[in-house]
Amino acid sequence: MGQIMLQVNAINKRVNTFNGELEILKDVSLSLNRGQSLAITGASGSGKSTLLGILAGLDTPSSGRVCLAGVDLSELDEEGRARVRAEQVGFVFQSFQLLPGLTALENVMLPLELHGVGSAKKRAENFLARVGLAERLSHYPKQLSGGEQQRVAIARAFASEPKILFADEPTGNLDSVTGAKIIELVFELNREQGTTLVLVTHEQRLADRCDCHLTLEAGAVLPSVEQQATEFLSC
Amino acid sequence: MLAAKLLWRNARSAEVKLLFTALLLAVAMVTAIGLLSDRLEATLLKQSNSFIGADRQIYSPQPISPLWSQQAQAFGLQQVRLENFSSMVFSSPAAEGYSVQSAQGSSSQTAEGSSSQTAEGSSVQSADGPAAFEERMQLAAIKAVEPGYPLVGQMEISTVPFATRSVDIEKTDAVPGLGEAWVDSRLLAQLDLNINNSVFVGEKRLKITRVIITEPDRGGGFSLFAPRLMMNRADLAATEVIQPGSRIAYHWLLAGTEPQLKAFLDKLQPELSDHHQLVDLERAQQGLASTLATARQFLLLAVVIAMLLAGIALVISSSRFAARHTEQVALLKSLGASSWKIRRLYLGQLLLLALASSVAGLLLAEILQRLIALAVVMMAAVELQPGSYRPYVLGIVSGVTCLIFFALPPLWHLPKISPLRILRQDLPVSSVRITVQVLLGTLAVLLLVYLFSGNIWLTLSVGAALLAVVSVAALVALGLLRLSHTLGSSAGSIWRLAIAGIKRRSGQSLLQVVVFAIALLLLLTMYAVRTSLIDEWQLQLPTDAPNHFLINIAPEQVDAVAEKLQRRGLNTAEIYPMVRGRLVKINAVEPSPALRKKVPLLRREANISWSKNLPADNQLSSGKWWHSEEEFESKGQQRGLPRVSVESKLAKKLGVGVGTKLQFSFGGLTLDAQISSLRQLEWDNMKPNFYFIFEPQVLDKFSPMYMTSSHIPPSEKAVVAEVLRDYPTIVVIEIDKVIEQIRDIVDKVGRAVEVVLALVLVGGILVLAAAVNASIDSRLQEVGLIRALGSSRKLILGSLAIEFSLLGACAGIIAVLGSEALLLGLQQQVFKMPVAPHYELWLAGPLLGTLLVGSLGVFSCRRVLNTPPSVVLREVG
Repeated sequence: MGQIMLQVNAINKRVNTFNGELEILKDVSLSLNRGQSLAITGASGSGKSTLLGILAGLDTPSSGRVCLAGVDLSELDEEGRARVRAEQVGFVFQSFQLLPGLTALENVMLPLELHGVGSAKKRAENFLARVGLAERLSHYPKQLSGGEQQRVAIARAFASEPKILFADEPTGNLDSVTGAKIIELVFELNREQGTTLVLVTHEQRLADRCDCHLTLEAGAVLPSVEQQATEFLSC
Repeated sequence: MLAAKLLWRNARSAEVKLLFTALLLAVAMVTAIGLLSDRLEATLLKQSNSFIGADRQIYSPQPISPLWSQQAQAFGLQQVRLENFSSMVFSSPAAEGYSVQSAQGSSSQTAEGSSSQTAEGSSVQSADGPAAFEERMQLAAIKAVEPGYPLVGQMEISTVPFATRSVDIEKTDAVPGLGEAWVDSRLLAQLDLNINNSVFVGEKRLKITRVIITEPDRGGGFSLFAPRLMMNRADLAATEVIQPGSRIAYHWLLAGTEPQLKAFLDKLQPELSDHHQLVDLERAQQGLASTLATARQFLLLAVVIAMLLAGIALVISSSRFAARHTEQVALLKSLGASSWKIRRLYLGQLLLLALASSVAGLLLAEILQRLIALAVVMMAAVELQPGSYRPYVLGIVSGVTCLIFFALPPLWHLPKISPLRILRQDLPVSSVRITVQVLLGTLAVLLLVYLFSGNIWLTLSVGAALLAVVSVAALVALGLLRLSHTLGSSAGSIWRLAIAGIKRRSGQSLLQVVVFAIALLLLLTMYAVRTSLIDEWQLQLPTDAPNHFLINIAPEQVDAVAEKLQRRGLNTAEIYPMVRGRLVKINAVEPSPALRKKVPLLRREANISWSKNLPADNQLSSGKWWHSEEEFESKGQQRGLPRVSVESKLAKKLGVGVGTKLQFSFGGLTLDAQISSLRQLEWDNMKPNFYFIFEPQVLDKFSPMYMTSSHIPPSEKAVVAEVLRDYPTIVVIEIDKVIEQIRDIVDKVGRAVEVVLALVLVGGILVLAAAVNASIDSRLQEVGLIRALGSSRKLILGSLAIEFSLLGACAGIIAVLGSEALLLGLQQQVFKMPVAPHYELWLAGPLLGTLLVGSLGVFSCRRVLNTPPSVVLREVG
């Protein structure tokens, strides 16, 4: 059995709306070992992104516990969670989230510099070369295609060598051919670095490539998948 | 250092450039205007101080202690001494060894400055010399000077009597050499002499080598009845005119920096006796001093307005910076940056930005003020005095204060942004409330205004005005926007599109209207204040102001003199009768020694006139004027005491009012009178002014002489010599050079004010541009979309022009309302000017708002119209 990277126990998320309290997540539990990959699927509004946010320590659940790399996030404040994110977590977003005023190289260097990595530039250049953008270092995001922008985002995510990578619809803004290439890249780097991968997707094809698969419906884990998820605890 | 790296990378983005520009503008404008004001003020003060020939003057009937001289030297002050006294001078060489000394009064100038001085000097042709020679003698105002005089200003001399052409006139820093005399042209006319002839002052024979054209410290009043003779101080002993009991004014002229002077005079103060009179510009030239004070207030207002404009630009650019950095912060947080780290990163960036923009701002200010100084030199042919270091310090302090109070609040919430926003961009951002930002901004302005002015009342007034203007502007803008919505529903498609745009962004539109309104309001206010000030200054000294006074005209000479002047096309003002008399009793009691000490007029004779009508420039402050001769004749006999009208400030000093009985002495004959009215008048209007005006006929028995004033242009100056030759008893007082000097200074102040206004205008337009730019992002996306949907260029351009013009027009209307309110306060409280509506603003405000904002808006969006919609949508989306 591999070491547990992510363990979630009965988390709920409720928010107050004009029409009263709304439950976005209901009793979600799961467990994921180091180096494994998990796909979260579900219809729009099923709570996928909310769950991803909570798993990554960007948000807090209304109840329940999330342990990331052995650290109980629910016991930490925002500063503590930020520390965990800095040390363990990488992100790839649907809308790339590159800073428009920074070149491709500077965008990749940003998290490395933020964490005080000494050879930030060299490492960023290596990763950009690794994603096939060695010739595009000084290009600004608006000068790059969607696929190229997402490759920069992937280079940025992997450059800081996270223990766990959260990807929110990484191919959502890309055509199918480019999307496939991007997925290939993510899994390749994931394999190389032994990163744990959690990805939110609409694409069944992508979900099928993951070790585990969790489907949300109206904030709850579908029963069949819940069983599967429970099995992970024993992985 | 990550903050520096981030700033360097962010520097490429528009919002950082805007923030940098706004900060740079704040520092540069405040410093440049401060520096320029400082230098202009120093220059104007220096020039104005030439009216006393020094920065300070002390005079006394006793010689100045040599110890004081040593002390002044120790303080690093420049100093010269001179003696002023009246003495007869003789033209005939045969008169050697004979002199008549007159020691009646000195020619020293006082703040009263005009009609109350003695007029003993008059040209007397005499044949009573000790020898049988024909000779002429004339009472002259002698001034014995030493090298270095004047310390401030220059003399103008000539070898041509009554010279008016500049080729004949020489500016000099020299003084008459040993055995030489420089004299007024009219002294030559009165003594029938020429250059290189000799005169005697007491026992000393002096050769006349030059005529004096202007003498900086001569003054503008009636102080110099007798013509001037200037000689070297080293010749004074040889004249033997200074005897025990002689009435001599010993003048001590000092020059140096203000701190030096203040330190020295503070130390000297306890040693000064009642006999020592300290003269500064304030006392010597009230009118000029108040013009300078008003100019100073204007420059202060300009600095405050520049600061406000820069502050507004900062708030706008900082808010835009914050809006654009919301996603960046969310990303950094998702990457594990803590709130503390984010705060440190942004504070670091802001501090670096402040440092860079302050340095650049100071440099720009230095370049700007040097360029303007150069322009001033070229326009007004005057070298600006160096300024102090204070504006640089104030510039940096302003930059830092603006940064903390204007730029920081919109950024303050950034570290609190939830990292979840990276996934859910619909999450609200809880930024610092606009009311808190307005309050902080106001606090900053108050702090800075106080720093600049040191005046708590001015500071509080500006604060109150600002808050009132912002609240009223917000209310009025809301009303106007609602009105435009109502009107918009019945409009054509371009208008509907434009008004729909305003409606969609109603919050932003409201804010923009308020910002536009404040910027326009400040500009309109500055413009109106400048116009009123310059108009008022020009009104004080119209180009045809009388510049010559003819006094001591005998009744039988009045018509002939008037005719002589009229023949030359010169307009003479009214002819005023005048007798010399002394106020001896108030309510039948002689003035106490204390009162006599307090009111110099009680110690000498005054020029007293009478008039049927209230003089044009006088205003009754209490009592009644005798309206007509009929009234006087019908009631005259029953009235009892003759009526007299008294100048109100003198009345206050004397403690008298309407009904008080006064007794005058006219050459030994007494006359009782009763005060029937008090009058306010302007002593510096260069017109004959009188402390006492009687009702007609009362003074007929005291052998009055007459006086008049006239504007004599340089081309007609020869008439002065003609009058003096034909009527030797008439005394002509020339104040044309003094008027020219005052007008020159006022003109320079006016130019300075205009230069500063131009600077503020540039600042105002930059703020408007910043405000327009701040709303461009959302508009670009919208315009790109409308363009993609196939709308014509004309429709988009038209709707944009209408949208911005409407906002500009709304802002213009509010600006006019606010400006009028602000002007009301400023004119009444700060500038002490008459309050009047500014009708020109009512048209200029809305027009300026419409045109400026409309064209800036269209200009800022022009790129969208020339770029394919797909590119625009991709860039802004």
